[in-house]
Amino acid sequence: MAGDDFEPLIIVYTCYWCSYTAADLAGTSRIQYPPNIRIIRVQCSGMVHPNLVIDALTNGADGVLMCGCHEGDCHYREGNLRAKARADAISLMLEDFDLEPERYRLEWVAASEGPRFAEVVTEMVDRVKEVGPSPYG
Amino acid sequence: MAVRVAQEWFAICGGCEVTILDVGEPLLDVLPELEFVHMPVIMDHKLYGQTGEQTAMEIPEADVGIISGGVRNEENRELAELMRSRVNTLIAMGSCASFGGVPALANQYVLEDLYERVYRGNSTTDAGATPSGDVPALLDRVYALHEVVNVDIHLPGCPTTPDMFVAALMHLLKGTPFAVAEKSVCDTCPTIREKKAVSTLKRPLESVEGVGEPLSQARCFMEQGFLCNGPATRAGCGGMDEGVPRCIRAYMPCRGCFGPLSLSANPMVDMMGALSTIGLDPKEIPDRAATFNRFAGAGRLQPKRVRG
Repeated sequence: MAGDDFEPLIIVYTCYWCSYTAADLAGTSRIQYPPNIRIIRVQCSGMVHPNLVIDALTNGADGVLMCGCHEGDCHYREGNLRAKARADAISLMLEDFDLEPERYRLEWVAASEGPRFAEVVTEMVDRVKEVGPSPYG
Repeated sequence: MAVRVAQEWFAICGGCEVTILDVGEPLLDVLPELEFVHMPVIMDHKLYGQTGEQTAMEIPEADVGIISGGVRNEENRELAELMRSRVNTLIAMGSCASFGGVPALANQYVLEDLYERVYRGNSTTDAGATPSGDVPALLDRVYALHEVVNVDIHLPGCPTTPDMFVAALMHLLKGTPFAVAEKSVCDTCPTIREKKAVSTLKRPLESVEGVGEPLSQARCFMEQGFLCNGPATRAGCGGMDEGVPRCIRAYMPCRGCFGPLSLSANPMVDMMGALSTIGLDPKEIPDRAATFNRFAGAGRLQPKRVRG
Protein backbone atom coordinates (compact mmCIF):
# COMPACT_ATOMS: atom_id res chain seq x y z
CA MET A 1 0.00 0.00 0.00
CA ALA A 2 2.51 2.56 1.18
CA GLY A 3 4.49 3.24 -1.96
CA ASP A 4 7.41 5.67 -1.90
CA ASP A 5 5.51 8.20 -3.92
CA PHE A 6 2.50 8.34 -1.57
CA GLU A 7 2.05 11.88 -0.28
CA PRO A 8 -0.59 11.91 2.47
CA LEU A 9 -3.05 14.72 2.97
CA ILE A 10 -3.30 15.64 6.62
CA ILE A 11 -5.80 18.03 8.15
CA VAL A 12 -4.40 19.89 11.15
CA TYR A 13 -6.81 21.59 13.50
CA THR A 14 -4.88 24.22 15.47
CA CYS A 15 -6.26 26.42 18.20
CA TYR A 16 -6.04 30.15 17.74
CA TRP A 17 -4.24 30.85 21.01
CA CYS A 18 -1.38 28.34 21.10
CA SER A 19 -0.91 25.94 18.24
CA TYR A 20 -1.67 28.27 15.33
CA THR A 21 0.83 30.74 16.78
CA ALA A 22 3.30 27.87 17.05
CA ALA A 23 2.75 27.05 13.37
CA ASP A 24 3.29 30.73 12.63
CA LEU A 25 6.49 30.71 14.66
CA ALA A 26 7.72 27.62 12.83
CA GLY A 27 7.18 29.55 9.60
CA THR A 28 8.83 32.80 10.63
CA SER A 29 11.74 30.81 12.10
CA ARG A 30 12.06 29.07 8.72
CA ILE A 31 11.88 25.60 10.23
CA GLN A 32 11.32 22.98 7.55
CA TYR A 33 8.50 20.48 7.75
CA PRO A 34 6.67 18.42 5.10
CA PRO A 35 4.09 20.29 3.00
CA ASN A 36 1.42 17.58 3.41
CA ILE A 37 -0.64 19.43 5.99
CA ARG A 38 -3.61 21.73 5.59
CA ILE A 39 -4.08 23.83 8.68
CA ILE A 40 -7.57 24.74 9.81
CA ARG A 41 -7.50 27.34 12.54
CA VAL A 42 -10.22 27.02 15.14
CA GLN A 43 -10.86 29.16 18.17
CA CYS A 44 -10.26 26.28 20.57
CA SER A 45 -9.45 22.59 20.24
CA GLY A 46 -12.56 22.03 22.38
CA MET A 47 -14.81 23.11 19.52
CA VAL A 48 -13.73 20.35 17.15
CA HIS A 49 -16.46 17.75 17.47
CA PRO A 50 -15.67 14.13 16.55
CA ASN A 51 -17.86 14.31 13.45
CA LEU A 52 -15.43 16.86 11.94
CA VAL A 53 -12.59 14.39 12.40
CA ILE A 54 -14.55 11.40 11.09
CA ASP A 55 -15.91 13.43 8.16
CA ALA A 56 -12.38 14.54 7.22
CA LEU A 57 -11.09 10.97 7.34
CA THR A 58 -13.98 9.53 5.35
CA ASN A 59 -13.89 12.28 2.72
CA GLY A 60 -10.34 12.21 1.47
CA ALA A 61 -7.98 13.12 4.32
CA ASP A 62 -5.36 10.47 5.18
CA GLY A 63 -4.85 11.74 8.70
CA VAL A 64 -6.07 14.30 11.22
CA LEU A 65 -3.79 16.03 13.69
CA MET A 66 -5.38 18.04 16.46
CA CYS A 67 -3.25 20.62 18.25
CA GLY A 68 -4.23 22.63 21.31
CA CYS A 69 -2.79 24.40 24.33
CA HIS A 70 -1.08 22.40 27.06
CA GLU A 71 -3.36 21.25 29.86
CA GLY A 72 -4.02 24.11 32.23
CA ASP A 73 -3.12 26.70 29.57
CA CYS A 74 -6.42 26.74 27.67
CA HIS A 75 -7.58 30.26 26.94
CA TYR A 76 -11.11 29.05 27.67
CA ARG A 77 -9.92 27.15 30.77
CA GLU A 78 -11.04 23.66 29.86
CA GLY A 79 -11.58 23.50 26.11
CA ASN A 80 -8.52 21.33 25.58
CA LEU A 81 -9.75 18.92 28.27
CA ARG A 82 -12.89 18.45 26.17
CA ALA A 83 -10.70 17.75 23.17
CA LYS A 84 -8.87 15.15 25.27
CA ALA A 85 -12.14 13.53 26.41
CA ARG A 86 -13.30 13.36 22.80
CA ALA A 87 -10.00 11.84 21.66
CA ASP A 88 -10.98 8.55 23.36
CA ALA A 89 -14.29 8.53 21.55
CA ILE A 90 -12.57 9.27 18.22
CA SER A 91 -9.99 6.52 18.70
CA LEU A 92 -12.78 4.01 19.40
CA MET A 93 -14.71 5.08 16.32
CA LEU A 94 -11.70 4.80 13.97
CA GLU A 95 -12.10 1.05 14.42
CA ASP A 96 -15.79 1.22 13.45
CA PHE A 97 -14.85 2.98 10.23
CA ASP A 98 -12.00 0.54 9.46
CA LEU A 99 -9.34 3.22 9.94
CA GLU A 100 -5.92 2.71 11.53
CA PRO A 101 -5.32 4.38 14.93
CA GLU A 102 -2.28 6.20 13.48
CA ARG A 103 -4.56 8.40 11.41
CA TYR A 104 -5.61 10.50 14.38
CA ARG A 105 -3.37 12.21 16.90
CA LEU A 106 -3.91 14.79 19.61
CA GLU A 107 -0.91 16.91 20.64
CA TRP A 108 -0.42 19.93 22.86
CA VAL A 109 1.76 22.62 21.24
CA ALA A 110 2.28 25.93 23.03
CA ALA A 111 2.67 29.26 21.24
CA SER A 112 6.41 29.29 21.87
CA GLU A 113 6.98 25.76 20.55
CA GLY A 114 7.58 26.39 16.85
CA PRO A 115 10.23 23.66 16.53
CA ARG A 116 7.93 21.22 18.34
CA PHE A 117 5.11 21.95 15.88
CA ALA A 118 7.45 21.09 12.99
CA GLU A 119 8.54 17.93 14.81
CA VAL A 120 4.96 16.78 15.51
CA VAL A 121 3.95 17.39 11.90
CA THR A 122 6.99 15.53 10.57
CA GLU A 123 6.25 12.56 12.82
CA MET A 124 2.58 12.53 11.84
CA VAL A 125 3.38 12.62 8.12
CA ASP A 126 5.91 9.78 8.51
CA ARG A 127 3.43 7.64 10.45
CA VAL A 128 0.62 8.14 7.96
CA LYS A 129 3.02 7.42 5.09
CA GLU A 130 3.68 4.08 6.74
CA VAL A 131 0.00 3.11 7.05
CA GLY A 132 -0.73 4.24 3.49
CA PRO A 133 -3.62 6.04 1.81
CA SER A 134 -7.02 6.25 3.47
CA PRO A 135 -9.37 3.45 2.36
CA TYR A 136 -11.93 6.18 1.67
CA GLY A 137 -9.61 7.75 -0.94
CA MET B 1 -61.58 15.02 -7.54
CA ALA B 2 -60.22 12.77 -4.84
CA VAL B 3 -56.49 12.31 -4.47
CA ARG B 4 -55.47 8.78 -5.37
CA VAL B 5 -53.24 7.08 -2.81
CA ALA B 6 -51.23 3.88 -3.22
CA GLN B 7 -49.52 2.27 -0.26
CA GLU B 8 -47.06 -0.63 0.07
CA TRP B 9 -45.19 -2.17 2.99
CA PHE B 10 -41.76 -3.76 2.85
CA ALA B 11 -39.49 -4.82 5.73
CA ILE B 12 -41.64 -3.51 8.55
CA CYS B 13 -43.64 -4.57 11.61
CA GLY B 14 -46.88 -2.89 10.51
CA GLY B 15 -46.78 -0.19 13.18
CA CYS B 16 -46.81 2.64 10.64
CA GLU B 17 -49.99 1.24 9.09
CA VAL B 18 -51.51 1.26 12.57
CA THR B 19 -50.54 4.93 12.73
CA ILE B 20 -52.66 5.55 9.63
CA LEU B 21 -55.60 3.75 11.24
CA ASP B 22 -54.88 5.54 14.52
CA VAL B 23 -55.40 9.00 13.03
CA GLY B 24 -58.86 9.06 14.56
CA GLU B 25 -61.34 11.84 13.90
CA PRO B 26 -59.12 13.96 11.61
CA LEU B 27 -59.25 10.98 9.22
CA LEU B 28 -62.99 11.64 8.75
CA ASP B 29 -62.18 15.12 7.41
CA VAL B 30 -59.63 13.91 4.88
CA LEU B 31 -61.22 10.61 3.85
CA PRO B 32 -63.67 12.14 1.32
CA GLU B 33 -60.66 13.72 -0.37
CA LEU B 34 -58.76 10.43 -0.60
CA GLU B 35 -59.18 7.37 -2.74
CA PHE B 36 -57.02 4.42 -1.77
CA VAL B 37 -56.25 2.46 -4.94
CA HIS B 38 -53.73 0.02 -3.49
CA MET B 39 -53.08 -0.79 0.15
CA PRO B 40 -52.41 -4.41 1.11
CA VAL B 41 -53.00 -3.85 4.83
CA ILE B 42 -56.65 -2.82 4.50
CA MET B 43 -57.83 -3.76 1.03
CA ASP B 44 -57.76 -6.68 -1.30
CA HIS B 45 -55.89 -5.50 -4.33
CA LYS B 46 -53.45 -8.05 -5.62
CA LEU B 47 -50.22 -7.25 -7.42
CA TYR B 48 -50.69 -9.92 -10.11
CA GLY B 49 -54.40 -9.20 -10.67
CA GLN B 50 -57.29 -10.46 -8.52
CA THR B 51 -57.10 -13.97 -9.94
CA GLY B 52 -53.36 -13.93 -10.54
CA GLU B 53 -53.95 -13.61 -14.26
CA GLN B 54 -51.12 -11.13 -14.92
CA THR B 55 -47.51 -12.00 -15.51
CA ALA B 56 -46.04 -8.76 -14.12
CA MET B 57 -46.73 -6.86 -10.90
CA GLU B 58 -49.01 -3.87 -11.28
CA ILE B 59 -49.78 -0.88 -9.07
CA PRO B 60 -52.46 1.55 -10.34
CA GLU B 61 -51.39 5.10 -11.14
CA ALA B 62 -51.80 7.43 -8.16
CA ASP B 63 -51.06 10.96 -7.03
CA VAL B 64 -49.44 9.95 -3.78
CA GLY B 65 -47.44 6.82 -3.00
CA ILE B 66 -46.70 5.80 0.56
CA ILE B 67 -44.07 3.18 1.31
CA SER B 68 -43.28 1.93 4.77
CA GLY B 69 -40.41 -0.40 5.55
CA GLY B 70 -36.85 -0.76 4.36
CA VAL B 71 -35.85 -2.43 1.10
CA ARG B 72 -34.76 -5.93 2.11
CA ASN B 73 -35.29 -8.18 -0.92
CA GLU B 74 -35.55 -8.15 -4.70
CA GLU B 75 -39.33 -7.90 -4.58
CA ASN B 76 -39.14 -4.79 -2.38
CA ARG B 77 -36.74 -3.18 -4.82
CA GLU B 78 -38.87 -4.00 -7.84
CA LEU B 79 -42.01 -2.72 -6.11
CA ALA B 80 -40.23 0.48 -5.01
CA GLU B 81 -39.23 1.20 -8.59
CA LEU B 82 -42.72 0.33 -9.83
CA MET B 83 -44.35 2.56 -7.21
CA ARG B 84 -41.98 5.42 -8.09
CA SER B 85 -42.98 5.16 -11.75
CA ARG B 86 -46.72 5.20 -10.90
CA VAL B 87 -46.96 8.11 -8.44
CA ASN B 88 -46.20 11.83 -8.48
CA THR B 89 -45.22 12.20 -4.84
CA LEU B 90 -43.53 9.41 -2.93
CA ILE B 91 -43.62 9.40 0.87
CA ALA B 92 -41.19 7.29 2.90
CA MET B 93 -43.25 6.58 5.97
CA GLY B 94 -41.54 5.70 9.24
CA SER B 95 -37.93 5.19 10.22
CA CYS B 96 -37.60 1.88 8.35
CA ALA B 97 -38.35 3.48 5.00
CA SER B 98 -36.38 6.61 5.88
CA PHE B 99 -33.25 5.11 7.50
CA GLY B 100 -33.59 1.31 7.45
CA GLY B 101 -34.99 1.12 10.98
CA VAL B 102 -34.58 -1.82 13.32
CA PRO B 103 -34.33 -4.42 10.47
CA ALA B 104 -31.21 -2.58 9.28
CA LEU B 105 -29.37 -3.69 12.43
CA ALA B 106 -28.77 -6.80 10.33
CA ASN B 107 -26.42 -4.67 8.22
CA GLN B 108 -23.75 -5.26 10.85
CA TYR B 109 -23.28 -8.74 9.45
CA VAL B 110 -22.58 -10.08 6.00
CA LEU B 111 -25.54 -11.93 4.47
CA GLU B 112 -23.93 -15.37 4.62
CA ASP B 113 -23.43 -15.04 8.40
CA LEU B 114 -27.08 -14.04 8.82
CA TYR B 115 -28.25 -17.15 6.97
CA GLU B 116 -25.94 -19.29 9.03
CA ARG B 117 -26.82 -17.85 12.40
CA VAL B 118 -30.56 -17.19 12.04
CA TYR B 119 -31.61 -20.04 9.77
CA ARG B 120 -29.14 -22.88 9.24
CA GLY B 121 -27.23 -22.80 12.52
CA ASN B 122 -30.22 -22.35 14.80
CA SER B 123 -30.43 -25.33 17.16
CA THR B 124 -34.25 -25.46 17.09
CA THR B 125 -34.48 -25.52 13.31
CA ASP B 126 -34.06 -28.37 10.89
CA ALA B 127 -32.35 -26.45 8.17
CA GLY B 128 -33.30 -27.11 4.59
CA ALA B 129 -31.67 -25.78 1.48
CA THR B 130 -31.89 -22.04 0.83
CA PRO B 131 -34.99 -21.57 -1.32
CA SER B 132 -34.22 -20.20 -4.74
CA GLY B 133 -37.43 -20.30 -6.78
CA ASP B 134 -40.59 -18.83 -5.31
CA VAL B 135 -39.12 -16.60 -2.62
CA PRO B 136 -37.51 -13.29 -3.58
CA ALA B 137 -33.77 -13.28 -2.82
CA LEU B 138 -32.49 -11.02 -0.04
CA LEU B 139 -30.38 -8.05 -1.09
CA ASP B 140 -26.86 -7.83 0.35
CA ARG B 141 -28.14 -5.49 3.07
CA VAL B 142 -31.22 -3.51 4.12
CA TYR B 143 -31.53 -0.28 2.16
CA ALA B 144 -33.38 2.87 3.09
CA LEU B 145 -35.94 3.77 0.44
CA HIS B 146 -34.05 6.87 -0.73
CA GLU B 147 -31.00 4.68 -1.47
CA VAL B 148 -33.10 2.88 -4.10
CA VAL B 149 -35.48 5.48 -5.57
CA ASN B 150 -36.03 9.23 -5.23
CA VAL B 151 -38.16 10.09 -2.21
CA ASP B 152 -40.08 13.36 -1.93
CA ILE B 153 -41.13 13.35 1.71
CA HIS B 154 -39.65 11.58 4.72
CA LEU B 155 -41.89 10.99 7.72
CA PRO B 156 -39.54 9.67 10.40
CA GLY B 157 -40.56 7.82 13.55
CA CYS B 158 -41.03 4.32 14.86
CA PRO B 159 -43.86 4.55 14.32
CA THR B 160 -44.42 7.99 12.88
CA THR B 161 -47.10 10.03 14.66
CA PRO B 162 -50.68 10.30 13.39
CA ASP B 163 -50.57 14.11 13.44
CA MET B 164 -47.38 14.18 11.36
CA PHE B 165 -49.05 11.88 8.83
CA VAL B 166 -52.16 14.08 8.73
CA ALA B 167 -50.06 17.24 8.44
CA ALA B 168 -48.19 15.78 5.46
CA LEU B 169 -51.47 14.74 3.80
CA MET B 170 -53.07 18.14 4.38
CA HIS B 171 -50.08 19.89 2.84
CA LEU B 172 -50.27 17.60 -0.16
CA LEU B 173 -54.00 18.20 -0.54
CA LYS B 174 -53.44 21.96 -0.41
CA GLY B 175 -50.36 21.75 -2.62
CA THR B 176 -48.07 23.42 -0.08
CA PRO B 177 -44.56 22.11 0.66
CA PHE B 178 -44.11 19.89 3.71
CA ALA B 179 -40.96 19.20 5.70
CA VAL B 180 -40.28 18.11 9.26
CA ALA B 181 -38.30 20.76 11.17
CA GLU B 182 -34.58 20.04 11.60
CA LYS B 183 -34.57 20.26 15.36
CA SER B 184 -33.16 17.75 17.79
CA VAL B 185 -34.98 16.12 20.68
CA CYS B 186 -32.72 18.16 22.99
CA ASP B 187 -33.99 21.36 21.35
CA THR B 188 -37.50 20.51 22.51
CA CYS B 189 -36.56 18.92 25.85
CA PRO B 190 -37.40 20.94 28.97
CA THR B 191 -34.88 19.36 31.38
CA ILE B 192 -31.99 21.32 32.88
CA ARG B 193 -28.68 21.00 31.05
CA GLU B 194 -25.37 22.16 32.49
CA LYS B 195 -23.08 20.40 30.01
CA LYS B 196 -21.49 18.31 32.71
CA ALA B 197 -22.32 14.75 33.76
CA VAL B 198 -23.00 14.33 37.48
CA SER B 199 -22.58 10.56 37.39
CA THR B 200 -20.82 7.78 35.55
CA LEU B 201 -22.77 5.74 33.02
CA LYS B 202 -25.84 4.00 34.48
CA ARG B 203 -27.80 1.01 33.27
CA PRO B 204 -31.25 1.77 31.86
CA LEU B 205 -33.00 -0.30 34.54
CA GLU B 206 -32.00 2.23 37.18
CA SER B 207 -34.54 4.95 37.76
CA VAL B 208 -34.14 8.50 36.51
CA GLU B 209 -33.94 11.06 39.31
CA GLY B 210 -36.73 13.58 39.47
CA VAL B 211 -39.60 11.32 38.47
CA GLY B 212 -42.82 13.02 39.51
CA GLU B 213 -41.28 16.49 39.62
CA PRO B 214 -42.03 18.83 36.73
CA LEU B 215 -39.61 18.06 33.88
CA SER B 216 -38.36 21.63 33.91
CA GLN B 217 -36.86 20.93 37.33
CA ALA B 218 -35.29 17.58 36.40
CA ARG B 219 -31.66 17.26 35.35
CA CYS B 220 -30.86 16.21 31.77
CA PHE B 221 -31.06 12.38 31.71
CA MET B 222 -27.73 12.06 29.89
CA GLU B 223 -26.03 14.21 32.52
CA GLN B 224 -27.55 11.84 35.10
CA GLY B 225 -25.63 9.06 33.34
CA PHE B 226 -28.35 7.50 31.19
CA LEU B 227 -27.73 7.03 27.50
CA CYS B 228 -30.22 9.34 25.81
CA ASN B 229 -30.17 9.64 22.03
CA GLY B 230 -31.69 13.14 22.19
CA PRO B 231 -28.69 15.10 20.85
CA ALA B 232 -28.59 13.08 17.61
CA THR B 233 -32.31 12.49 17.11
CA ARG B 234 -34.84 14.55 15.22
CA ALA B 235 -37.65 16.09 17.22
CA GLY B 236 -41.24 15.41 16.19
CA CYS B 237 -42.52 12.62 18.43
CA GLY B 238 -44.06 15.25 20.71
CA GLY B 239 -46.34 16.38 17.89
CA MET B 240 -46.11 18.88 15.07
CA ASP B 241 -46.37 21.79 17.54
CA GLU B 242 -43.01 20.74 19.05
CA GLY B 243 -44.36 19.38 22.29
CA VAL B 244 -42.20 17.59 24.85
CA PRO B 245 -40.73 14.40 23.30
CA ARG B 246 -42.83 11.38 24.24
CA CYS B 247 -40.25 9.26 26.07
CA ILE B 248 -38.93 12.29 27.95
CA ARG B 249 -42.53 12.99 29.02
CA ALA B 250 -42.52 9.54 30.65
CA TYR B 251 -39.10 10.20 32.31
CA MET B 252 -37.38 7.79 29.96
CA PRO B 253 -34.28 8.60 27.89
CA CYS B 254 -34.75 8.98 24.12
CA ARG B 255 -34.13 5.80 22.10
CA GLY B 256 -33.62 7.66 18.85
CA CYS B 257 -36.62 6.32 16.95
CA PHE B 258 -37.07 9.50 14.87
CA GLY B 259 -33.65 8.94 13.34
CA PRO B 260 -30.84 11.39 12.59
CA LEU B 261 -31.34 15.10 11.92
CA SER B 262 -30.25 14.78 8.31
CA LEU B 263 -29.98 11.85 5.93
CA SER B 264 -26.19 12.16 5.86
CA ALA B 265 -25.67 12.39 9.63
CA ASN B 266 -24.31 9.45 11.60
CA PRO B 267 -25.94 9.31 15.06
CA MET B 268 -23.13 7.18 16.48
CA VAL B 269 -20.49 9.81 15.73
CA ASP B 270 -22.67 12.60 17.10
CA MET B 271 -23.57 10.64 20.23
CA MET B 272 -19.99 9.57 20.96
CA GLY B 273 -19.06 13.25 20.68
CA ALA B 274 -21.92 14.40 22.86
CA LEU B 275 -21.36 11.95 25.69
CA SER B 276 -17.59 12.35 25.81
CA THR B 277 -18.01 16.12 25.81
CA ILE B 278 -20.04 16.08 29.03
CA GLY B 279 -17.58 13.70 30.69
CA LEU B 280 -19.07 10.22 30.27
CA ASP B 281 -16.58 7.48 29.37
CA PRO B 282 -17.07 6.43 25.73
CA LYS B 283 -15.30 3.10 26.41
CA GLU B 284 -18.16 2.00 28.67
CA ILE B 285 -20.78 2.08 25.92
CA PRO B 286 -21.93 -1.44 25.10
CA ASP B 287 -22.18 -2.04 21.34
CA ARG B 288 -22.01 1.63 20.37
CA ALA B 289 -22.62 1.15 16.66
CA ALA B 290 -25.96 -0.63 17.17
CA THR B 291 -27.00 1.31 20.27
CA PHE B 292 -26.78 4.68 18.58
CA ASN B 293 -27.83 3.54 15.11
CA ARG B 294 -30.70 1.45 16.45
CA PHE B 295 -33.13 3.02 13.97
CA ALA B 296 -30.68 4.28 11.35
CA GLY B 297 -28.56 1.33 10.28
CA ALA B 298 -28.95 1.47 6.49
CA GLY B 299 -25.81 2.93 4.98
CA ARG B 300 -24.32 3.58 8.41
CA LEU B 301 -23.52 0.23 10.02
CA GLN B 302 -20.39 -1.47 8.70
CA PRO B 303 -20.66 -5.21 8.08
CA LYS B 304 -18.38 -7.50 10.00
CA ARG B 305 -17.86 -11.23 9.75
CA VAL B 306 -18.94 -13.46 12.63
CA ARG B 307 -16.58 -16.26 13.60
CA GLY B 308 -17.57 -19.60 15.08
